[in-house]
Amino acid sequence: MGPLTACIVAPLALAAATSVAPPRAARWLALLGALLTLLVGGMAIADFAARPGADFRFVDSTPWSTAFGASFTFGVDGIGAAMLCLSGLITAIATIAAWQQDKWPRVYHALVLVLLAAMNGVFTSLDLLLFYVSWEMVLLPMLPLVGVFGGEQRRYAAMKFFVYTLAGSVLMLAMLIALWNATPREGRSVVVPHHVVAAHADASHGTLHGLPIDLGHDGPKQVHVPRGFDLRHLALQAEHWQGANFLGVTLAAFGFFAVLLACLVKIPAIPLHTWLPHAHVQAPTAVSVLLAGVLLKLGVYGLYRIGVPLFPQAAAAWAPALGGLGLAGILWGAWAALGQRDLKRLVAYSSVSHMGFCLLGLFSGTVAGATGGMVQAFTHGLSSGLLFLLVGVVYDRAHHRRVDGFGGLARPMPQFAWILLLGAMAGAGLPALAGFPGEFLVLGGAFTATGSFPWLGALATLSVVLSAAYLLWTLLRVAYGPLRHPEQAAFPDLDGRERLAAWPLAVLLVVVGLWPGPLVDALRPACELVVQTLQGGRP
Amino acid sequence: MTVGTTSVLVWLLPLAAAVVCTRLRSAALAHGFAAVVLAVATALAATMAFAVVGGTPVVGPHLTWLDLGSFTLGVGTYVDGMAAVMAVIVCALATGVLVFNAWYMHDDPQAARFPWQFCLFASAMLGVVLSDNLFLSFCCWELVGLGSYLLIGFWFDKPAAADDPAYQARKGAAARGVLEAQLSPAHAQLKAFVMNRVGDAGFLCGIGALLALSLQLGARGDVLSFANLAALPVADLAKASFLGCSGHALLVLAALGIFCGAVGKSAQFPLHTWLPDAMQGPTTASSIIHAATMVAAGVYLVARCYPLFPPEALAVVGWTGGFTCLLAATIACVQWDLKAVLAYSTVSQLGLMFVGLGAGSAAGGKDAAIAHLFTHAFSKCLLFLCAGAVIHACAGHQDLARLGGLRKRMPVVAYVSLAALLALLGMPLFSGFVSKDAILQVALANAQAAGGLAWGPFVLACSGSLLTAAYMLRWWLRIFGGEERDHDVTHHAHDPATSAKAVLLLLAPMTLALPRTIGHWLPLPHGDAHTPAMVTALALLAVGGGFAVWVFGLAEHSGRDVAAGLAKAAAPVHAACGELWGIDRLWNRLFARGLGCGVAAVVARCDLGSDDRLAGLEDPARSRSLSPSVDGLVDGLAAGCAQVGSSGASLHRGRLGVYLAVGVGVVAVLLLWCGGGF
Repeated sequence: MGPLTACIVAPLALAAATSVAPPRAARWLALLGALLTLLVGGMAIADFAARPGADFRFVDSTPWSTAFGASFTFGVDGIGAAMLCLSGLITAIATIAAWQQDKWPRVYHALVLVLLAAMNGVFTSLDLLLFYVSWEMVLLPMLPLVGVFGGEQRRYAAMKFFVYTLAGSVLMLAMLIALWNATPREGRSVVVPHHVVAAHADASHGTLHGLPIDLGHDGPKQVHVPRGFDLRHLALQAEHWQGANFLGVTLAAFGFFAVLLACLVKIPAIPLHTWLPHAHVQAPTAVSVLLAGVLLKLGVYGLYRIGVPLFPQAAAAWAPALGGLGLAGILWGAWAALGQRDLKRLVAYSSVSHMGFCLLGLFSGTVAGATGGMVQAFTHGLSSGLLFLLVGVVYDRAHHRRVDGFGGLARPMPQFAWILLLGAMAGAGLPALAGFPGEFLVLGGAFTATGSFPWLGALATLSVVLSAAYLLWTLLRVAYGPLRHPEQAAFPDLDGRERLAAWPLAVLLVVVGLWPGPLVDALRPACELVVQTLQGGRP
Repeated sequence: MTVGTTSVLVWLLPLAAAVVCTRLRSAALAHGFAAVVLAVATALAATMAFAVVGGTPVVGPHLTWLDLGSFTLGVGTYVDGMAAVMAVIVCALATGVLVFNAWYMHDDPQAARFPWQFCLFASAMLGVVLSDNLFLSFCCWELVGLGSYLLIGFWFDKPAAADDPAYQARKGAAARGVLEAQLSPAHAQLKAFVMNRVGDAGFLCGIGALLALSLQLGARGDVLSFANLAALPVADLAKASFLGCSGHALLVLAALGIFCGAVGKSAQFPLHTWLPDAMQGPTTASSIIHAATMVAAGVYLVARCYPLFPPEALAVVGWTGGFTCLLAATIACVQWDLKAVLAYSTVSQLGLMFVGLGAGSAAGGKDAAIAHLFTHAFSKCLLFLCAGAVIHACAGHQDLARLGGLRKRMPVVAYVSLAALLALLGMPLFSGFVSKDAILQVALANAQAAGGLAWGPFVLACSGSLLTAAYMLRWWLRIFGGEERDHDVTHHAHDPATSAKAVLLLLAPMTLALPRTIGHWLPLPHGDAHTPAMVTALALLAVGGGFAVWVFGLAEHSGRDVAAGLAKAAAPVHAACGELWGIDRLWNRLFARGLGCGVAAVVARCDLGSDDRLAGLEDPARSRSLSPSVDGLVDGLAAGCAQVGSSGASLHRGRLGVYLAVGVGVVAVLLLWCGGGF
């Protein structure tokens, strides 16, 4: 069993172990699973930073169903490595944040572990069926995590989240079946594009994605792809999806729409985002951290891993519209955040705004933009995770989250206020903090792209004004000025556990902000390949 | 040590000091440590200046920060005469201000926080000064914004002026025209940061234009470095396009984008309203941020990017500067808050520098503007420090109507501030004479050469200068001249402690036009317009200054209140100036309340619906009601599905008649359909 398989199996085993462990030990098991993931993810990202490449590494395959051509195949490129790292990190932070979980701690931590396994499954699957199963499995623990452990309207929020995201991804199952049906039983021979050969071919074994390939000649390279669900093999057949028909449209158009819908709901892009504020407001702090920190990235990741590589033509055709949708999300989310009076809802809308940059960056079809989109996805996990933690800190003390119910907290809680300032500044994209590189690269990508993208980039610069306005205005209302509610003078500053959860994120915000080089080096080759694929899809 | 290494040290030493100072609990120790580090940085910067002024520029170390394949983003330094002298000024003034601040805040329990925020700011500013590429400039530019955010909000827990009894008791006439509900350090820091960001959005577009332009013209590598930008093949411009502009228009667009950033940082119309509010910060912080360095960064940036500015963009620069120069001067004339006068004076002087820049390189606009930037840095810094000493001595009173006669109680402050003031006015023998003269000279030369509209900035600058002489002398005469007005306010006043006095006395000679002071370190423009410009400047000084001396000195001494008479005679103008021409209120209504909160409220409402809906979400009776919002539509869709489901369910309730009717109907339809087939 390789390290990536361990990232799925170990959390599941630990989840099972919580049922026999003492209640107080469950949190240690959750932390262990998270740290294991973090270790593997960190190892992978270090490997990609040291030896940049767009290839899949740590590939690890176990047969599942030979009849369907499905297998437990795991592997990561730079994008997967970064996301795996994020998943482990944020789960560890969320576990520390929920250290004092007193309602059914074993159930709670078991659910978090199942969630972790599912998220890791999405980020490491190289098999579409496995990807789909992991994708849907994410919902199962989330339903009780919000619906049982959440706030007053938890049932409404949990059902909305569950049904909304399930409805979004159900077409993906149809796509899966359609792709399988569209492949002949004996497989087919395809011509492999030059850049894919360059990135993935293994010259020493004469293979490409495990398939024999003749690299000895100068002509177009051919490879015989078997019927099945291996993502890498499916991507090789992009031309055939474009040629095949399904329900009156090309299979590629249908498939892209199916993936897109699933991903747009998860990201979430407007107007499919309204489950997010409810889920965030009702979820307990640690689940909000997970939701904003990792779950939203599933959508972005799905587009990078499936949407664009499998259906490049459809993606290229839709790119300007999707870039526009990203911009709309950036602005709508920012203005909506400015108008919120509930702290959690405010941070939730800031997520809508920030995640819009991922869409804009990816579909700009530039290396800077696509890399920036992924950097943004990573760093948004850090900054929004931190902001949700801090909202949890004041909620634990005041038992409400109304912005106008606070004021002047910087006096009784100085450390809280400083970290809140750091999180807000990172969210506002201040250079030297982690929010900046992603945003700047996406804007740079949009500016240097063709067509309408420079205009979208120019309009997206408005977000530097709006994000500063909604985050720093919130800071002003919560932390600065005289103490508005005298009873809050007795609020204690961050305690040891809260510090342990907040400080790693705060430090990472500074470190990644000052030195994003390794992260970008790890991400760039994979993003470059995505961009080449997207550009190859242009008519 | 090479100049390159020195430049990196000058940049990063204050940053290191900032990091160390965060860990120092003792205010005295933190101030001392930071001042020593800044003094070392000053010395290093001076060696750098001696090496490069008049010689060739030095390219310092350069690191690639990010590599994006088609271009890279780098971090590096570049030292030419302008950068080196600016670095010396920033470090020297920072050292002085920090020493002064140790006295100024000696009884403030939060004083230990000042040094690290101050050093962070200084380092960011040095980054802007020494950067070798536009990207790093932008990063440091934003960090300068962070520094000013922290320092303006130094006393973040102070209540808004409207809720502050102490402020209300002593404000007197000082607070006319400001929004008292939003006048607090916390509001001021937010306003400063957000308004700077408005400019930065334009700056980003400018960077985007240059990035797109460079890549389209085939540049690779660190395309945003100043060296590469200056070497752009301008002849091929027609091949590039961005935002619908191509060719020359694209260059204008890029330049205006960069100028947008400068308008925000340097508080030019229409983004000037943050600077007077920023006076809520400690006066010592104002003395360096809002007088000598941060606000000057805009001017510096335009000067750094000067080769990129085509004449059309320079015309916009000149007109903006000229208009702001006059606008701020009119407001400064009627302010009663002693810091507000200095704030508007700063805005006005920055406008003057932009007039100089707008004159173009043929006339020597850059040299003139930079010279004025340097001389203004010293005089305005001193004026703010003196203002701080006065405020400290008078227990927080800032009302010009209640101060008076302080020259007897605080002679050092009085005469140092007089020297700084005369430099600001452009008195012969003082440094400002050289630089103000240079600005008017280049503006005049440009006007004579271009004619027509190019006279605008010159005329506006002259009007602004005329008013400057008047309101600055009013300021001094009101504080230090005449007799005591309010015994309660001024009777405790005395000169500051020795260390603070030493800072004032050491900086004071820099306001003189001595052969070796800063005014002579730069090449100044020469030309035919020199003599008429000098005559004009002196005439303006004589008329404006003479008027002020008559009104606030001689006439008042003989018991006549000429100022009040004048105010009554020109009541509408006087009132408009007092109300800041309504700009603050209008901007607040249009942008903060309208475009910001107003639109936000509508968007939030359209997104999730009313509060009532949100409160009743789990109530089955209410959640079905379709609310006109995005989320309401989703719920409506869900309710529709549920409705279809329950209607379908009603067919399955075991009523035989229904089953029979459906069965017959289906058979009939099938028969008809198949029958058609036959």
